[in-house]
Amino acid sequence: MVIKHKNIFETESCWSNADKQMLCLDTGGWRTERPVLDQTKCNYCGLCCLYCPPQCMLDKGDHYEANLAFCKGCGICAHECPRGALTMVPEGEFGNEG
Amino acid sequence: MKAKTVKPRVMTGNGAAAYAAMLCRPEVVASYPITPQTEVVEQLSAFKADGVLDAEMVEVEGENSAMNIVCAASIAGARVFTATSSYGLVYMYDTLLQTAGFRAPVVMVNVNRETPGIQAVSAGQQDMISTRDSGWIQIIVENDQEIIDQIIMAYRIAEDFNIQLPIMVNYDGYYLSYLAEAVQIPDQTDVDAFLAPLKKQPQRPRLVPGEARGCGTHGMEMGYVEARYKHCMALDRVKNHVDKIDKEFGEYFGRSYGGQIEEYKCADADIVIVASGSAAGTARTVIDSKRAEGLKVGLVKLRLFRPFPEERLAQALKGKKAIGVIDRSVSFGWKTGPMCTEIKSLCSKIGPVPILSYIDGLANLDINIPHIGRVIDEVAVAAKGKPYQEVTWIPMEEER
Repeated sequence: MVIKHKNIFETESCWSNADKQMLCLDTGGWRTERPVLDQTKCNYCGLCCLYCPPQCMLDKGDHYEANLAFCKGCGICAHECPRGALTMVPEGEFGNEG
Repeated sequence: MKAKTVKPRVMTGNGAAAYAAMLCRPEVVASYPITPQTEVVEQLSAFKADGVLDAEMVEVEGENSAMNIVCAASIAGARVFTATSSYGLVYMYDTLLQTAGFRAPVVMVNVNRETPGIQAVSAGQQDMISTRDSGWIQIIVENDQEIIDQIIMAYRIAEDFNIQLPIMVNYDGYYLSYLAEAVQIPDQTDVDAFLAPLKKQPQRPRLVPGEARGCGTHGMEMGYVEARYKHCMALDRVKNHVDKIDKEFGEYFGRSYGGQIEEYKCADADIVIVASGSAAGTARTVIDSKRAEGLKVGLVKLRLFRPFPEERLAQALKGKKAIGVIDRSVSFGWKTGPMCTEIKSLCSKIGPVPILSYIDGLANLDINIPHIGRVIDEVAVAAKGKPYQEVTWIPMEEER
């Protein structure tokens, strides 16, 4: 057998160092809809951030925003937001912007 | 031999396992009691209470937790020990796979017992067989002394930097777990010296609080394939390593077991019987009496089951006229027993000789002298080119 694969893990076991390298699950690619924030309703309480399963909410200082590279569009943040500041909008409405 | 001579002591297989584990100085022990393994946990707890075992003993609510704890402790760098049997082994099945996938060098004793479905509180190797594809090293021993010696060797195998795999040391429940035999318990200084080479090896990766690294969490696509490939290659390396450590153990302690397999009177044999565990001891006696009758028969004691000792077996079985394999378990979906099925896969190397499968010793039934005598006689007939029965469930052909 001729091995052409270049090793991903430096170690014999499958250890990875997050500072150097991570093999990330492309959960963003699973998304069919994304959370869109109405900033006038948001009071920066952080509940969306606490409930987010892949913990992809980014702290923007006065509000939170989903990191779309990881947000899988589950809608839990919108469901939990007590002020209804987050709305799930179908991906189709955003064209190919990502 | 370098080891100090010690006075033999009489103890059960379970007691022997506990002594061996203690001598290897595990730092974390988590184990849930289950028949016929319970005495191992009791004895280790007693060692801890007496202050002779300096380990963190974690009281668990079940085997699933036990394996999770020893796996995690191992990943954090600790030397660990656990023991289980049957229902306990299958109750930790997911964590068993996880431990192997993490390449955590856990040393576990599995006291062979029949598995769930039928409430069998009895001996059989079905538990071990049902976890053969879990990625663990699986080794089977024959008597109480071998239990002690193999547990000590197990640390040299599992924790070796070039291996980094968990190992399951199997011995027959009831037959060995409760059997009291005279054993030599090595001196602590000798066990320390035998395990010392591990300290000179590079440190395996470990979890360190505050450091951004982890194990097993990023096995995506080629990461997964690479991890699996490395795991299989490591298992392949285990085979020669088992032989090497067995030889080294023999040089140090004066006892060795053949490594992957033990060949007994095989060199000039026309036919060979393959057996494992406590049945191998009985088989040796029968081989001797058949030899006295003029029959050239040998025994292969299968010690290493995973990885399967393909090369050593092919070497031992090549040129033999017929082979009989005694299995203490069944292979659901195959007619032949599990070990027989695997030995049949050697046919391209050893030729299309008759390989007869015998299912015996399930549910605490004895694999006794008449049974093994019958196996040898039938294999001898098959060796002459006469028709033979491919699979025989020995107890099913007996009237009781």
